[in-house]
Amino acid sequence: MAQERAKMPVVNIKVERLKRLVPGVKVNKVLNAMPFVALDIEGIDNNIIRVEYNPNRPDFSSDYGIVRALRGLLGIETGAPKFKLAGKSGLEIEVDQAVKRIRPYVAGLVARNGKLNDETIKQLISMQEDLHNGLGRRRKKASIGIHNLDGIKFPVTYKTVSGDYTFEPLGESSNQSIDRILKESETGKQYGRILKGLGRYPVIVDSAGATISFPPIINGNVTKVDKNCRNLFVEVTATDQKAAEDALAIIAVTLYDAGFEIRTVTIDSGKKVETPQMKPKVISADIGYVNSILGMAFDAKQAIDYLKKSRLDAKASGKKIICTVPRYRIDINHPIDIAEEVAIGYGIFNLEPTFPASPTAGQKNLLSTYFCAIREALTGLGMIEALSFSLTSREVQYNAFGITGKDALAVDGSKSLEHEILRDSLIPALLQSLSRNVHEEYPQRLFEIGKTFHKNGALTERWNVGGVITHVDAGYTEIRSVMQALIKSCFGRDAITKAAQNTMFMEGRSAEIVIDGMLMGTIGEVTPLALENFKLRMPVAAFEIDLSHIIKDK
Amino acid sequence: MSNESRNNNSNAATLHPIEKSLLKALPSDGTSITVDRLAERASLSIDQTRRGIEWLKFKNLVSVSETSTSTISLGPLGHKAARSGLPERRLVKAIKEGNSTMAEVLASGMLDNDEINAAISGARRNHWIQLTEGKMVATPLADVQSPEEIFLSRITDIGLDSTNLSVENKKVIENLKKRPEYLVMKEVKYPQISISEIGKMILPMIEREKSKERKLTSELITSGKWKEVEFSALDVEAPAPAVYPGRRHPLVDIIEEVKEIFVGLGFSEIDGPVVQSGFWNFDALFTPQDHPAREMQDTFYISGQRQQIPATSEQKRKVAEVHKKGWSTKWNIKEAESMVLRTHTTPVTLRHLAMIKPEVGRYFSVGRVFRNEKVSYKHLVEFHQVEGVATAPLASLRDLMGLQKEFYAKMGIKKVKFWPTFFPYTEPSLQSMVYNEKLEKWVELFGMGIFRPEVTEPLGIKNRVLAWGGGLERIAMFRFRLHDVRELYGNRLAWLRSVPRCQL
Repeated sequence: MAQERAKMPVVNIKVERLKRLVPGVKVNKVLNAMPFVALDIEGIDNNIIRVEYNPNRPDFSSDYGIVRALRGLLGIETGAPKFKLAGKSGLEIEVDQAVKRIRPYVAGLVARNGKLNDETIKQLISMQEDLHNGLGRRRKKASIGIHNLDGIKFPVTYKTVSGDYTFEPLGESSNQSIDRILKESETGKQYGRILKGLGRYPVIVDSAGATISFPPIINGNVTKVDKNCRNLFVEVTATDQKAAEDALAIIAVTLYDAGFEIRTVTIDSGKKVETPQMKPKVISADIGYVNSILGMAFDAKQAIDYLKKSRLDAKASGKKIICTVPRYRIDINHPIDIAEEVAIGYGIFNLEPTFPASPTAGQKNLLSTYFCAIREALTGLGMIEALSFSLTSREVQYNAFGITGKDALAVDGSKSLEHEILRDSLIPALLQSLSRNVHEEYPQRLFEIGKTFHKNGALTERWNVGGVITHVDAGYTEIRSVMQALIKSCFGRDAITKAAQNTMFMEGRSAEIVIDGMLMGTIGEVTPLALENFKLRMPVAAFEIDLSHIIKDK
Repeated sequence: MSNESRNNNSNAATLHPIEKSLLKALPSDGTSITVDRLAERASLSIDQTRRGIEWLKFKNLVSVSETSTSTISLGPLGHKAARSGLPERRLVKAIKEGNSTMAEVLASGMLDNDEINAAISGARRNHWIQLTEGKMVATPLADVQSPEEIFLSRITDIGLDSTNLSVENKKVIENLKKRPEYLVMKEVKYPQISISEIGKMILPMIEREKSKERKLTSELITSGKWKEVEFSALDVEAPAPAVYPGRRHPLVDIIEEVKEIFVGLGFSEIDGPVVQSGFWNFDALFTPQDHPAREMQDTFYISGQRQQIPATSEQKRKVAEVHKKGWSTKWNIKEAESMVLRTHTTPVTLRHLAMIKPEVGRYFSVGRVFRNEKVSYKHLVEFHQVEGVATAPLASLRDLMGLQKEFYAKMGIKKVKFWPTFFPYTEPSLQSMVYNEKLEKWVELFGMGIFRPEVTEPLGIKNRVLAWGGGLERIAMFRFRLHDVRELYGNRLAWLRSVPRCQL
């Protein structure tokens, strides 16, 4: 669980706008309602509320979308939000077949007779960015261009050009080649890799020859939007048709809520299609199913009321609820989603937890039981348990012992050199821990129970226990006493040690641990080279046992 | 115990042998002596003596006064003068050996160039020489030692106590001080110890204590001699040297506590690999293949390793199907075969459910999970996650909330509320907010939800599965009041030795 939480998109909402868009309700009440439509208030500064939303709700990418949901939950306006297409614009995007292998899909709309102000523009830009990052998968899957309609001579053509093609990109005052834009401009550098190796580049050019867009990188300067614009043209290009249509539907309702009249654009790619297509989805759910998911006993009328508070339309048909889902709600696809919408409309805060009696008796597994025994033995012997990372560095794991060129299990693209490989032994990290404690009181005794990772053919994971002891007189005899006491008290076996060389240990003070005739670990006095590399000042004796054999056969 | 009450409770019986020896060695009339002298008289080492004095001082049995003495010792030129005489003395010597002009004196090597002026003026002041016809002649007075010479000869290697000097000597010192590098003046402070009034009162008792045994030896026990001897009392109120018990890691304490709560709620523990296929970590959990969480920026992939997916061909086919149906993007088995360090423990619980397909069951898992993050005071690349799943035919969202509430109650968390949220593999999904009494604010803890049909159906899991889980380090940080999550993996003994096992 908790997979998504780290990076959630954020919308900034001005308190003033919130008051205007949710009239007649105290701001505090609106804020209190937000978490119950899955909006996290991240903070409020200078009358701006920072609201986090989940990536399954790209319709929350502007304050219009957020208000749409809040008005429902607060009961100000329920059922599917008002939206109407004003008909065809009669304007056309002609699609050149050459885009097929580059960025095949395009969709568009026209928004007329609206008014823009700085705040609306801010919201539109932030929505566009969020849609680019989320639905558009950082523009790879879909990207959006918003243009001043009045500067464009229709029909426009979506086609491909070569790298030396020039036009005036947004914010520049002279023509630049596509190659240069990709090399020098900020968005070119950031998103250029999407087009890498394709040979040709997608552009939208109007019939007067003006380039209005070079997706997914940048718009043309000629269609620049400012607050004097009354009419907009929006195009979405994509490698995935659904992503293009989803994004366009969200933009359509947002612009509609901002006061524009929305008209369709004809896409001509051999066959003519009108976009956006705003036809709602119809999903039916059994009322009994919804109730059993939630643990409630709603009747159809109640369930329908709650769905309406979630801004959906619904009607009853026998035992079923037929739910009409507006096009922009791309997160609702299955009866289970309807159940959640009922719960949200009802108010999660109204749901009383019920505690189900256990049908089973619980139990820890054998591993836990063994580990408890090992911990008890070692802590009884005066050792303190340590925890270290399984992802470590070559430096700690090998170089410090003078081992080089070891074929380790590495991870790709780690953001930290300290965490580049999976450990195959616990002792190095224990020594690293001792190195952080040279000024603490001696004797110091640490142990760790942890997984180690090995590559011999297939990748295997083993549970190991390792221990280190350091003080002025630390040595082999003491560590062997501890190790044999551990094995004897936990498993009733006598550990045998057989002299054997190990890079970690001093020659002649190093042995293998054999239990029941099987090689299970190593024990010895750590080499002065390693001590020096870990900046340790006292001798260290260490052991490590692979517990897999002991545990496996149980 | 306050110091004061300890002081008044001092009695001969509780004194350490060192303390007793010292008290007996001090002049009983209250005269002060130095530490060195006391050590000598008590036959103890200087260290033992110093330590004993500290203890006795604390008990008000001795008083310590600081005395200072000034000493005079020789500077570099003073040493030279002590060896071969003052310049004026060497001048006289040279003259007596027949050198009478300045040139001759210098040629004799008995005086250096820069000493000659001082030598002549010194010799004249002492009336040791006369000048006749440009030649220097020694007078009879030249055989008399000057006061400077007498004084310098009195200064030994350990210096000369200058506290009580005669007026004449003080004058000599003034003169010598005008000549640089002859004398070094130093003030030395040293403690003087004397027995206090209380000490005097205790002294007779020490004599009486003398016959008592301090140590109960094995010999005394077995021989029966213990019946004949009296044992001395010990200073049972004194602190003892620090020792540190072995202990479990504080985070393991929390892990064990969580396990116990789960077992109490009827859950059984399961465990599984850290390295999982993309299939079990993501695909089986209905996470689309182009989901940002699957990128290398967020998830650790094992370099150059692929895995035969540990799933049946039917499971693979059905998972591929729901992806094709639910997500318009293509589903590529290569992505599913990649090997990742699990980003959550859910693949472990899901594989278990897919394997045993229980009608009803409760399972939990605690283990490490990994995220490719920049390590900071609040983020680790590796941390512990706990997860519980409960499956039953009519398991409901309210049941999930109830289990969660009970779980928190057992952890001592009383105030809980639930907010809707989103996870790709659960619907409905909730996050729990708990009230932290120490921070006096609501904090986010575990996420939860009911596994989506797109997750359970392809794997043949018949009944609904309630699932919840989250990181344990966060709970540990709250409990141990840590501000830096890295402390949990730093293994600093100062911290490990200081965290109480029981949080009162």
